[in-house]
Amino acid sequence: MNGTEEVAGRLVTVQSAWGVAVPGGASAALLLGLAFAVLVVLDLRGLGGKVTRERFPALAALRVVSALLVWLVAVQPTVRRDEVAEEEGRLAVLLDVSRSMEVRTPTGSRRDELETLARRWMEGTEEAPPPVFAFGATTRTSRLGEPHPARDDDTLLAAALGSAIETDPSIGAVVVASDGADRGGSAIEAATSLGIRVHTVALGEGPLRDDGIAEASIDRVAFLRRPARVRAVVRRIGAPGGPIPVRLFGGDAGDVPIAERIVEVPEDGTAEVSFEVNLSELGRALFTISIPSPAGDAVPENDRRALLTRVVRDHLRVLHVAGQPSWDQRWLRGLLERDPTMDLISFFILRSGTDMVMADASDLALIPFPTDELFSEHLGSFDVVFFQNFEYAPYAMEVHLPRIREYVERGGSFAMIGGPLSFSAAGYAETEIQRILPVEVLPRSTPASVATTSDRFRPVVARGAERHPLVMLGADPSTSADTWAALAPLQGLNVVARSLPGAHVLLTHPSDRTGSGEPSPVLAISEPGRGRSLAVMTDTTWRWGITSGGATGDASFYERFWDRALRWLARDTTLDPVRVTTDRERYGAGARMAVRGTLRDGWHAPLTLDAPARLVIVDGGERELGTVPVALDETGAFDAVMAAPEVAGGFHVRLVAERGGEAVLAEEPFVVETGGDELADPRARPDLLEELSRASEGSHFRGADRAPRLGELDATRVRTLGTELVRPLASAWALVLVMGVLGVEWILRRRWGGR
Amino acid sequence: MLARTITTLAAALLLAALAPAGAEAIGEASAFDVRTIEYTGGNFRPRESAPRRLAWEVRKRTSIDTALEPSTARLDDPTIFETPFLSWTGDAAFEPLSDAESSALAQFLSYGGFVLIDDASAEGDLGFDASIRRELSRALPDAPLAELPNDHVLFRSFYLLERPEGRIRGPDHVEAITVSDRVAVIYTRHDLGGALARDNLGNWEFAVEPDGEAQRERAIRFAVNVVMYALCLDYKDDQVHAPFIMRRRGG
Repeated sequence: MNGTEEVAGRLVTVQSAWGVAVPGGASAALLLGLAFAVLVVLDLRGLGGKVTRERFPALAALRVVSALLVWLVAVQPTVRRDEVAEEEGRLAVLLDVSRSMEVRTPTGSRRDELETLARRWMEGTEEAPPPVFAFGATTRTSRLGEPHPARDDDTLLAAALGSAIETDPSIGAVVVASDGADRGGSAIEAATSLGIRVHTVALGEGPLRDDGIAEASIDRVAFLRRPARVRAVVRRIGAPGGPIPVRLFGGDAGDVPIAERIVEVPEDGTAEVSFEVNLSELGRALFTISIPSPAGDAVPENDRRALLTRVVRDHLRVLHVAGQPSWDQRWLRGLLERDPTMDLISFFILRSGTDMVMADASDLALIPFPTDELFSEHLGSFDVVFFQNFEYAPYAMEVHLPRIREYVERGGSFAMIGGPLSFSAAGYAETEIQRILPVEVLPRSTPASVATTSDRFRPVVARGAERHPLVMLGADPSTSADTWAALAPLQGLNVVARSLPGAHVLLTHPSDRTGSGEPSPVLAISEPGRGRSLAVMTDTTWRWGITSGGATGDASFYERFWDRALRWLARDTTLDPVRVTTDRERYGAGARMAVRGTLRDGWHAPLTLDAPARLVIVDGGERELGTVPVALDETGAFDAVMAAPEVAGGFHVRLVAERGGEAVLAEEPFVVETGGDELADPRARPDLLEELSRASEGSHFRGADRAPRLGELDATRVRTLGTELVRPLASAWALVLVMGVLGVEWILRRRWGGR
Repeated sequence: MLARTITTLAAALLLAALAPAGAEAIGEASAFDVRTIEYTGGNFRPRESAPRRLAWEVRKRTSIDTALEPSTARLDDPTIFETPFLSWTGDAAFEPLSDAESSALAQFLSYGGFVLIDDASAEGDLGFDASIRRELSRALPDAPLAELPNDHVLFRSFYLLERPEGRIRGPDHVEAITVSDRVAVIYTRHDLGGALARDNLGNWEFAVEPDGEAQRERAIRFAVNVVMYALCLDYKDDQVHAPFIMRRRGG
C-alpha cells in the first residue's frame, strides 16, 4: 500500500514493495523457479506410463503444487514497508576555508567570491541567522558576517557534513559554498546516509594559469651512503606545453642547487622528474625542490616543496683486526658476529713469522693478510675499525697508518684495544696513529716491565665522567658505581704516558698513576677531526662476561659495555651530549611543536651557562622565525613548546647557548606543509559539487552571483521513520504444509503404481 | 740407551732454541690455559703430560700465547670462570658430579665457556663414555650431543683436516654440543691426549695406531684446531677465507 498522510504536522509516506530474501534477489529466484519447472516436467514425463490416465492428473497437480511450495519457501517472498517523513529543517551554511580558496583567477580570488556571497546571504538573516560552519581540514562554527581566511591544509567535505549534523540535528539541508576541490572523497555517500539535502554553489570557475609541483616524495627512511631517490611530478595548467627547470636544494649547499633537471611538460598535463642524492650523515636530511614561478602564476606556493627523510644505517660495517687469538678477541668477535645489523670483516693473525707450523702451506687454512686491499681500497667503506692487540710492523703497514689517520679525521671511527702487542709494544707512539688516539703512547723503547703491568684491578669511573653514557651503566651514577664495583677485576694494563688534551678519560686504574701524575687511563675517548677514537688499555674486558657471570650470576655486563661503546663509535645520536629533537618531522602551519633535548658537556654533565639557552627556528635563509627560552633540569635535559612557522618549507630548530662566549649548537630539521597536497592541483571542481547536489536532491548553482537567497532554498529533510519486513512463509507452519503435501503425493504415488 | 737419551736431549734443546719469541700475555688471565677438570672416582688425568704438551704445541705452532704449566680445578671451584677452556679427560667410569658441579658446568657453558672431552679408555671400555653422557645430559638436558660433520669449521680452523684422529684412529667423527649457535663442547673418543703425551725427556709415551707418527702429527694438528676454534669460533667460515681454502682443498 502506498500513500501519504499528515501525521502530527508532517507528511508521512508509506511505501510497500515485494521482494525475495534469497541471495541474488529476483534473478536467482527466477532461475531457481525455472530449474524446478524443468524437474517437474521431466518427472511427469516419467510418470506417464506408470499410472492410469484417470490418476495422472491428480498426481501431476500434487507434484506441481509441492514444487511450487518448495520454491516459495526457498525464495521467501518478502513485503518491505518503508515509512518516511518529510520534515521542515533548518538550512545550514558550509563555507570552504581551505587554502585552495586563495587561488586567484582573472576576476579575483575564490575567497573574494565567497566573502561576497556570505555578505549577500547575511542580508535579511540578521534576526534569525542560520547555522554557519567553516570547513577545510576541520569543521568549526562560524558566522556569515566575519572574515573567512583560507588557511586549512585540506578539504574534507564529507567530514564537514557529518560534523554539521552532529552539531545541530535540526538541520534539514545545507548549502555548500566551495571550489569543489574536495580531497577527502565520499561526500555523496555521507549526504545520502545522513538523509540531508545538499545545495551547492560552485566558486572559482574560470581560466587558471599555474605551474606547480603536484607531487614530491623521498623515502621516509633512507640509508647512509646509499643514494636516495627524490621524485617530483610537475603540472602545467592553462599554458602551452614547454620546458620547466626543476632544482633540488639540500645538505650544506645552502641556496646553491645540488642538482637540476629540465622536464618537458605538456599543456594541462604533468611530467615526472627524479634525482638521486647521496646521504652522508645520520639523522634527518632536508631537501627542497622548486620550479620557477611564471608570470600570472595562480599558486606560487606550490612551486616549492620541502622534503624530509630520516637517514639510518642499513648495516654497520666493522673491520676487526686482531694480532693473535685470545679470549678478548674471541669475546669481541662473538659480540660483533651475533648482531644481524653488522657487516663484519675480521682478520686475525693466527701465526707469526717465528711460529713453526710443522706443515706445508697447502695443509694450512691460512690466508695472506690483504693489507693493501683493506687499507688502500676499502678503508673508507668501514664505519668502525678495531685494532685489537695488533702490531702493524710485521705486515709492512707503515704506509697505511697515515690513511687510517685521514680516515678518522674525515669521520671514521677507530678503536685500539690493549694486549702484549698493542700500544707501546707495537710502537704506535712513533706513528700517525698517535695523532688520533686519546692517550699518549709510551715510546717503543720503553721496557715491557714499565709499559705493562700485570696486577688485577677493578677500574673506577673517572671523576667527572659519572654521567657519561659509556660508563653510566645504571639509572644514576650511584647505581652505576655499584655495578662497576661488583665486576670481576681486570688483569694487566697497557700503561700510557698521559691522556691528551681534548680527550675524555672515562675509566682509570684505582691506584696506578702515569708519569704526569694522573690516574692511569683504562678507557679513554676523543674526537679527532670529524671522527671518533676509543682506547681500551687492557685485554681482559672479556672477564666482564664469563668471570663476572660466575661470580654474580649475570654475564651480560660485557655485552652492555661494548654495545654502548660500539654505538658511540657508530655515532648513535642518542648518546650525543648536546641534542635537540622534535616530536614530529612534519607539521601544519602554526602547529604546536614539542621540542626536547639535552645540553651537556663532553662529560655529559649539565652545562654551566653564562646566559640562558634558547631554541630558535630558522628558515633556509637563516632568518629567525621564533624563539623560546630553555630551562634545563638538573641532568641537563629540557622540554619546550614552540609554534611551527605559518609558511610552508623546510626549517631547523636550533639550540643556542652561550658558554664562555662560545655558542654551543645542535639542530634538527623539520618540515611545514602548509601548501602540501591541498594546492598540488588548484583547479576548481564544479562537476563534483553538481553531482553531490543531484544525488541528494539539492540544487546546484555555478558562481556566487547565481546563488539565490538562503530563504529560497529547500530545507526539508527526508527522514526514515521505520522499515517493516514481512515474510509470510518464514514460519514452521509453512514447512509443515510443504511436508504434508509432499507426504500425500508420495503415498498416492506408491499406491497408484508410481515410485 | 745412553745414545738415545743424548739424542732426545739434543732434540729438546734444539726445539727450545727454535721456540717462538711470541708475545707473552700482559697478565696471566690473557694466556690460554689448558685447564683440566678434576672429579671424584675414575682417573681425571690419564695422560698427565698431555695438557702441558698441548699448550706447548699450540704456542710453538700458532700465535696463541699459552700457559705452559696448565692448571686443574674441580667444577665447583669458583675459579673455573677465570679461564674459559676446560679439558675433561678420563679412562674409566667416575662418580656422579655433585649438584653444584653440574650446575656450574651448565653455567660455564652458557656464559661462553668451552669444554674439550677426551676419552682415553682402552677400546671396548665404556665406563668413561657412560659417565660423560650421564653428566652432559644432566647438566644440559636440552642440548644433546650430536655428531659434528667433518665439513665443520673445526676441521679448517688452522690446519686443513679430513677427520679426527688421536692415539687411535677411532670413529670418523667427533660429537659436539651447540650452545647459542656455537659449539661449546667437543667430545672425542680418540685418546687425543695419548697422542700428545711425552715424558720429560721428550719421548712419546704411547704408540699411535695404526698409522704411527704420521697419525700422531694429524692428532696434534686436530688438537691445535680445537684450541683455535675455541678462540676464533667460525672465523674461518668468513666469506673472505672461502676461495683460499677451496683452492687448497682442490675444490
